[in-house]
Amino acid sequence: MTTANDVLSALQSAFPGAIEEAKVAPERQLWATIKPDRIVDVCKYLRDNHSFDHYSGAAGVDRINDGLFEVTEMLASHGAHQVVALLKVKTKRENPSVKSLTGLYWNANWYEREIWEMLGINFEGHPELYPLLLSDELVGVWPWRKDYKGYPDYNTADRAIEKVNPEGYTDYSFGPTEAEIKAGTVPTERPEYPTFREREEMEIKGESEMILHMGPQHAVVPGPFLLDILVDGERVKKAFLDVGYIHKGIEKIMENRTYMQGIPITDRLCYMAALTNNEAYCGAVERLLGIEAPERAQYIRMILEELSRIQSHLLGTGEFLTLIGSAVFSPFLYMIIDREDILSCIESVTGARINHSFVRFGGVRNDLPEGFKDMTLDALKKIRLKTEEYKELFLSDSIYRKRMEGVGVLTPAEARRLGVSGPPLRASDTPYDMRREDPYLLYKDMDFEVITRKEGDSRARVEVRLDEIFESCYIIEQCLDQISDGPIMAEGLPKKIKPEPGEAYYRVEDHRGEMGFFVVSDGSEKPVKVKARGPVYAYFQALPPLLEGTYIADVVAIAGSMDACTSEVDR
Amino acid sequence: MVLSAITEFAAQEPKLYALILGLVGAAIIASVINVAAMAVVWLERKVMGDLQARYGPNRVGGRWGILQLGADAIKLFTKEDIIPRGADKPVYVWAPIVASATTMLVAGAMPFGAVIINGREIPLVVANMDISAFYVEAALSIMAISAFMAGWSSNNKYSMLGAFRGIARMIAYEVPMGICVISVAVMAHSLNLVEIVQAQDVWFAVAQPLGFVVFAIALITDLGRMPFDQTEAEEEIIAGYNTEYSGIRFGLLYFQEYNMMLLGSILLVNLYLGGWNGPVIPVISFLSPMVWFFMKLLIVLVALIWVRVSLLRFRIDQVTDLGWKVLLPLSMVNLVWAVAVGLYFA
Repeated sequence: MTTANDVLSALQSAFPGAIEEAKVAPERQLWATIKPDRIVDVCKYLRDNHSFDHYSGAAGVDRINDGLFEVTEMLASHGAHQVVALLKVKTKRENPSVKSLTGLYWNANWYEREIWEMLGINFEGHPELYPLLLSDELVGVWPWRKDYKGYPDYNTADRAIEKVNPEGYTDYSFGPTEAEIKAGTVPTERPEYPTFREREEMEIKGESEMILHMGPQHAVVPGPFLLDILVDGERVKKAFLDVGYIHKGIEKIMENRTYMQGIPITDRLCYMAALTNNEAYCGAVERLLGIEAPERAQYIRMILEELSRIQSHLLGTGEFLTLIGSAVFSPFLYMIIDREDILSCIESVTGARINHSFVRFGGVRNDLPEGFKDMTLDALKKIRLKTEEYKELFLSDSIYRKRMEGVGVLTPAEARRLGVSGPPLRASDTPYDMRREDPYLLYKDMDFEVITRKEGDSRARVEVRLDEIFESCYIIEQCLDQISDGPIMAEGLPKKIKPEPGEAYYRVEDHRGEMGFFVVSDGSEKPVKVKARGPVYAYFQALPPLLEGTYIADVVAIAGSMDACTSEVDR
Repeated sequence: MVLSAITEFAAQEPKLYALILGLVGAAIIASVINVAAMAVVWLERKVMGDLQARYGPNRVGGRWGILQLGADAIKLFTKEDIIPRGADKPVYVWAPIVASATTMLVAGAMPFGAVIINGREIPLVVANMDISAFYVEAALSIMAISAFMAGWSSNNKYSMLGAFRGIARMIAYEVPMGICVISVAVMAHSLNLVEIVQAQDVWFAVAQPLGFVVFAIALITDLGRMPFDQTEAEEEIIAGYNTEYSGIRFGLLYFQEYNMMLLGSILLVNLYLGGWNGPVIPVISFLSPMVWFFMKLLIVLVALIWVRVSLLRFRIDQVTDLGWKVLLPLSMVNLVWAVAVGLYFA
């Protein structure tokens, strides 16, 4: 199996002089700084010769003290080896520009767009450098730069400019006042680009085509985002996705908090996956600190994360069924009832049902309460029976199969190209699971199966989720068997956490896929940069190509089977 | 004395008497049907609640929530009636009225059970016409037109898609449904619903099991209930044809659906489940046909609700596929069967 050192030596021999500094730490992670003009060649070499076929994300860091921007490209492989390559490119703060990787990796598109709109780093060769998360008024102020002073509140009523359009409706727009432009607190130069509406209207051809809005308020959306479909009758010709309606700027908020204060914020990334988000963030900071949680704490984390996975999969499946069925479709409510038992188990440890803030750097907050083992085993027994029932129900229901089979098919190659992860990827016959690929906690000692399906359609995605519930039950039972007494916090941890300057990347298997946290420290008590690489971001990017050529009713069946969560996209 | 005066009047002015009788009957039917539809809404919410392990309405009107529907109705009738600026106003305004008128048309010819007076069975029906089965079938399909009026005139994309779906579905399902009615008529030797009921010594559901199944599926489609509610699939097109409606007009469209559900169930009971036929119950022999009728009706209604909460929605192309490629041939087979069996036993 290829190790990170093999890749590094191969790189150094293939590109002498292009690699400025490089290290392998911890094992399986290759950190390298690449000369800006060679980054595309290096990535192409890695993709073609070392099967780095998974573009995991990119993070932009503002090194204001050095007068530099850094863009870290994260590459990994879909099962060929376990090395993660984190390739850093530096660029000057004046007219920053980096070469785009969209030619190599299709899914680099959204990551680069985000960095562009937030930091103002231009990506040469990017096909559609339009804002993604920011509203049009904010483009050009580059809010994630360190010297960003905040921006006047555009959304106050006295700034609203009313305009009555020819059809008789009132439009509102917002803009800086003359005084602000004179004082120089707002940029006068803004990038020019076609707006979202203009881009989609360009695609309308013919009298019978129209744009149908699904969102920002619509039954199909799990949170506010805009899914516009160009339809001809019942056929979808093209789909457009606009996100950012509830963008919270979590990454920027975390830069202004101490490390510890960041934990509750990670809860809010996604309401279904608070524990894994905690885990990903704490894991990254633990790597920076160079500590590891004691064994008992690791077991507790694993138990809770798997419990959380069960409840998330139950709710995700149930919600999806209400989408293709109706709002009164019964199994959804049955799944909510089953989920209660799991939530009670989690609640007995963490004291909370949704936002746990439970994981700590080097351990966990509480120990397991008395009677937890029996309670959990009882709940698991029930869940197993119920899940078996649901599976049988869906396998035997002919309408269900009619609606699901062959809908939204992702071939393995296509799934890898689009960069999806988690159940949708595994449903496309790719056994890619962070618990196996990038083992964290004690998952390497656990006996479990990575569930895959061959079909890659909506039904396979739901089946993968239901089967994963069984695997999670099995993992929890093993953990409860093996867990022994001991401390739950690492010793010798200072009250004020100030990691050494450096960077760390930590990936976990979220309920929805690959969740990674990239944390940069400069030795102070606040992180320089926290980047959350979420799985739903990748799904959303992959959604429009999947929807082309389907029926309107299939839009629901495909989008729902992805088990999306908007709040994580609009971090 | 009053009775004799009426008989005298009837003998003198038979046409006027028939007109007055018809108007009185229509008034009774109109009020009874609407109140009964409210009861159906309540029943649906309560049964749905039970099937989904929750309570359903349980606040307004005691622990059974009996007055909930009254409260809902008052709310709907006092809300602002919004007409969108871009709507085709006359059509938009008239669509709900056409919809409720349709239900009254159907209700007029529908027998609602019978009572036994002096050993004679008197069917409860306002207009006992010779072709009532055919007439009811024809009037039922006007419903799709009112939905189309509502959808088209709203000037809304979702409404328009809902209206298109409604028409496509109507065409696909009226044909097998009509053929099923013909099969029943062939066996009963009549198109009169009362005579069809009286002809059922053996329920037609037993005599024509295939026809029963086809008719039941087509009926659910016609009523636009799950799994065939594509016209108002809220997960896809918000609320379909009634997206833009509010206030009393929405209320009319909404109640019309439940009126239709009630009338459709009655039609099913009359055509296939022997209507009010059943053994005479000793103590209340006067009402015994009504008891049987309502028992059957309740079972059909609960079955419809059960189907709604336990099945997923078809896609619109799958619905039309099912209609044209499966139900139409099956209904033809059933017609042949009905003719053959009818000739054999005739």
